[in-house]
Amino acid sequence: MFRKATYILIAFCLWLWIIGRDRHVLTAHSPAVEYYQLKLPDSLPPPVYDFKNNPLTKQGIALGRRLFYDPKLSLDSSVSCGFCHQQFAAFGHFDHAVSHGVLGRTGNRSVPALFNLIWQKDFMWDGGVNHLDIQPLTPITDENEMGMDLGALIKRLQGNATYRKLFKEAYGTEEVTSQRLFKALSQFMVTMISFESKYDSVIRREPGVTFTAEEQGGYRTFTQKCASCHKPPFFTDYSIRNNGLPYLPSMNDVGRMRITNNTADYLKFKVPSLRNVLVSAPYMHDGRFFDIFQVFAMYNHGQQKGNTIDPLVKNGIPLTEKEKRQLYMFLNTLTDKKFLTNKELSELLITD
Amino acid sequence: MNRLLLLIFLLMGTGTAAQQVQLEISHVLASQPMQLQTAVYTNAAGDTFNITLFKYYLSNFSLIAADGRKTALQPAWFLVSEDNAASKKILLPQCPEGEYTQLSFMIGVDSVLNFSGPQDGVLDPLHGMFWTWNSGYIMAKLEGTSPSSRLPNHMLQFHIGGYRAPHVTQRMVTLTLPSPLLTGPQYKPRVMLQADAMIWFNGDYKISFRQMAGFMTPGTPADRIADNYQHMFSVKKIVSQ
Repeated sequence: MFRKATYILIAFCLWLWIIGRDRHVLTAHSPAVEYYQLKLPDSLPPPVYDFKNNPLTKQGIALGRRLFYDPKLSLDSSVSCGFCHQQFAAFGHFDHAVSHGVLGRTGNRSVPALFNLIWQKDFMWDGGVNHLDIQPLTPITDENEMGMDLGALIKRLQGNATYRKLFKEAYGTEEVTSQRLFKALSQFMVTMISFESKYDSVIRREPGVTFTAEEQGGYRTFTQKCASCHKPPFFTDYSIRNNGLPYLPSMNDVGRMRITNNTADYLKFKVPSLRNVLVSAPYMHDGRFFDIFQVFAMYNHGQQKGNTIDPLVKNGIPLTEKEKRQLYMFLNTLTDKKFLTNKELSELLITD
Repeated sequence: MNRLLLLIFLLMGTGTAAQQVQLEISHVLASQPMQLQTAVYTNAAGDTFNITLFKYYLSNFSLIAADGRKTALQPAWFLVSEDNAASKKILLPQCPEGEYTQLSFMIGVDSVLNFSGPQDGVLDPLHGMFWTWNSGYIMAKLEGTSPSSRLPNHMLQFHIGGYRAPHVTQRMVTLTLPSPLLTGPQYKPRVMLQADAMIWFNGDYKISFRQMAGFMTPGTPADRIADNYQHMFSVKKIVSQ
């Protein structure tokens, strides 16, 4: 009698558990996935990105990588994410001032480099996009970039046998949804981690690695004059500031003010990371400087000091010729060759 | 033993019993029914206009009893669109048995969902109700044309959104029901709601299309239009079957 009741109770609990499980749409069909552990140096603060909502799997990352390099994500199948985000340029756009898009169109801002994204709270030069998973929506649908209608893209991918297979491997069913698409793109993008530069080796006191005298001098200048905004270990504090870059009437880009409708945000743009900076030219939100020495010159004597200029740079950053040279040498130690040549991040040729 | 079985059946019963309330929404402009493209309306500023698109989110439904006790229904989001008849019928499932005198809900999508990455269902960004360049939901959208508009093609484009202070556009609506709403297994109530889109322009904050034929960012005009449309709903009647 008592045993029978126990069996019924257990069966009932099991039933409740199964019912409860089915409500989580994303995990309803648990695919046979292999979880992936991101390797990060110990010294870093915890990521902003919440992996609980998008646990990394080898299958998810593989799907994301294919999506990232697939020109089918654009209107006329001409432009992939990787078209503008090139690995050898730290996933920036080498030698291009502003982004390129479908049908020969151009955007009005420079392509940001992509790495260490899991510590970043908001995205784009004006911080207008508030989550990594939703970020690709902007370039995919922008008519000057990939120009693709999201609904049409979902249909296009659903009609492709390779994607049906890859979505099934990552998510358990062949169904393509925008949420799955975005989460897979994030899975790939969060693996773009760059902490293997010479600077990192020096800081970690790895045997046999030291700064040269010039690099050491540059590090000193950097610490005194640049590090409050370009704060290690990320070499940005992810804030949005007016650095005194002169306004260009032909671009009429008001920066953060476009997002907040607040005049106090006029001409404010995101502080970019200086990691891999020497391989990710051109510089500034509109890519107007092709050489880092032009950036030094701007801080030295070329600022436009409007109302919203940041207090930290309102008096400019005086730099002697020697300091500029040493700063260049130091910035060179922030280039992470392992990251730039990491085979797991490299471009895929997609033909179907 | 039998008591245990009974308990289990009771538990199952409460989980699945269809205690539903059906909302049926109709759209009007003042006294005229809404008709996309063809009908011509006139706002208080004297501008004539037509409407080509009208859609908005509803969420956070609650039922309120005569003693003021508020019962929040399970979280659900609905995208109501004039061009989609099915979307104008909202089924509120699992309404606890009782007698209610007021209905309340939000026009818009909770702030947290505006910065939590891509959602699915009606909140999927592919419905065109999510801003790409300035993340966040468009809580309500009205488009059309007016000869008074100075925008290209004389268009009207009001995309109302914003979830970050000071420009917050979610609005709570509380409607007093004309007769008590009874819920329970034996009832299948239908609540007939009407939304008057004219209030977008003729509310406390008057809009003349000559001065403003569109607004598509978070900002003060969006806040004021949301203040206006907070009052667009009324309950026409309750039908109990």
